[in-house]
Amino acid sequence: MPDNHPIAQEELMAYLDGELSPDRAATAADHLDHCRECQDVAADLQGVSRRLMAWSVEAPSVQITEAMVAALAEPRQKSTRQISRGSKWVIGLVAACVVALVLASVTPRMMPQRERFGAPQPNAKRIRQSMALLEPSATVDAVRTQNPMIAHTAQLTLTTREFEKARGAVEDILKRHKGYIGHLNVYAPAGAGRSLDATLRVPADQLDPMMAEIKRLGHVEMESQSGEEVTSQYIDLDARLTNARNTEQRLTDLLRQRTGKLADILSVEIELGRVRGEIERMIAEKKSLTNRVDFATLNTTVREDYQAMVPARPFSVFARFRNSAVDGYRSTVESMIAAIAFLLAFGPVLLVWIAILFFPARFVWRRVRRDPTH
Amino acid sequence: MISDEALMLDFQRGSRPAFEELFARYHEPLYGFFRRRLASEESADDLTQETFLAVIRATARYEPRALVRTYLYGIAFKLLAAERRKRTRDQPADLCPISGDDCDDRLWVRQAIERLDTNDREILMLREYEQLSYAEIADLLRLPVNTVRSRLFRARMELKNILAPAQGEA
Repeated sequence: MPDNHPIAQEELMAYLDGELSPDRAATAADHLDHCRECQDVAADLQGVSRRLMAWSVEAPSVQITEAMVAALAEPRQKSTRQISRGSKWVIGLVAACVVALVLASVTPRMMPQRERFGAPQPNAKRIRQSMALLEPSATVDAVRTQNPMIAHTAQLTLTTREFEKARGAVEDILKRHKGYIGHLNVYAPAGAGRSLDATLRVPADQLDPMMAEIKRLGHVEMESQSGEEVTSQYIDLDARLTNARNTEQRLTDLLRQRTGKLADILSVEIELGRVRGEIERMIAEKKSLTNRVDFATLNTTVREDYQAMVPARPFSVFARFRNSAVDGYRSTVESMIAAIAFLLAFGPVLLVWIAILFFPARFVWRRVRRDPTH
Repeated sequence: MISDEALMLDFQRGSRPAFEELFARYHEPLYGFFRRRLASEESADDLTQETFLAVIRATARYEPRALVRTYLYGIAFKLLAAERRKRTRDQPADLCPISGDDCDDRLWVRQAIERLDTNDREILMLREYEQLSYAEIADLLRLPVNTVRSRLFRARMELKNILAPAQGEA
């Protein structure tokens, strides 16, 4: 694509497919409005998609088969081993027999249970348990919203005489509690004590034991803890995310039909891009919120207990004279160097001005001397 | 409308209507997926059923990390690969032989698609017929999204060139 096009042809295609980020999509839409060449490319791409639709397939005759019904009635933990085509009828026959036997053996009072779609209660419970173990997302979400979600933050300020040792110990403690460093700064100003300023992230349940260990590294000057409940924020975000996903699904379904005008399709695709951008943003926000809850934040400051060094004994009189002489010599040399440096820096300029002003000044001076009033 | 993922989780909890809804939503697209890639209607029917059987049997292990659609096409892809291996072993057959029932337009399109590079063709078909997003295709074929985008563009441009003379003749 030549330089005068702000988007590449691939991006143009991605835009038509609703796959461009919202900001790039806006650029693409603007450009497409007035660029004839890109309109042609877009028309070509749309044309190809339209022509491909000619390859339609007949309606399927697939229905929910007996094999599926039998599989639905089986306990869910079984393996997904592939069934060979040859043995399918045997399995189907066996499954049908099993279903018939089960139906014949159950009493009428158990009928409502049978309508519970195969899986008996213990099995459903087992599935829920296995989900809780395997799936960190959906089940954990449910658990999260049942219990209050608290984002913990703590502050701890210490002073210590063994700064180096304390610094190493903080890192060891953090590692032991499976935490990580958010940021860490060490200051070592001249003539003052060193200090360490760190933001530590640690699994929420490890916050208290870790603080207890860190407190042992020195004298505690300040300690504070706070907790922010984010349950409602999380639930709200989750609901908005679900809605956005539903909207995305609806828009995708709308696009599948592709019966509208090109302008309509484009506007649906722009909307789809916007919704996808929102979904990504909300997912990131949700992840960040979860991270804040799962990992507590500990802001730690460790200061060195600094003691200024006192000279061992006062200077002698001779040493003072010698020091004064050295200072006097240094001042003389430095003032001469400064004067020479000044002359070098401003000498040429002064010479120029003297040359310019010399004759007018002499003229004025002579006039003044001749003036009888003076 | 309830999302596919919510339906799948309902199904995991034992809801038969949830499965029936998923079946209603996906049996036709999945059949189309197999039908365009296999020689016979019967094979497409069988593999569509096998896909749903696999879903039923693996319900307990389903983890909603990806879209249900990607999950289903992932299973379908594996079944298709197994079928192709079997067919190559048993009898080398055309992917989807052209029959007398094909109308002109359909014939042109199929012939044009068959002329594409195998990888490009798969990406194009997943996008055009299965309507998968670039990210879903990348996930399915284990490719970077940018590669999917550039191959898709190449395939579409090539297809445009292939179809253009045919259109002219028409």
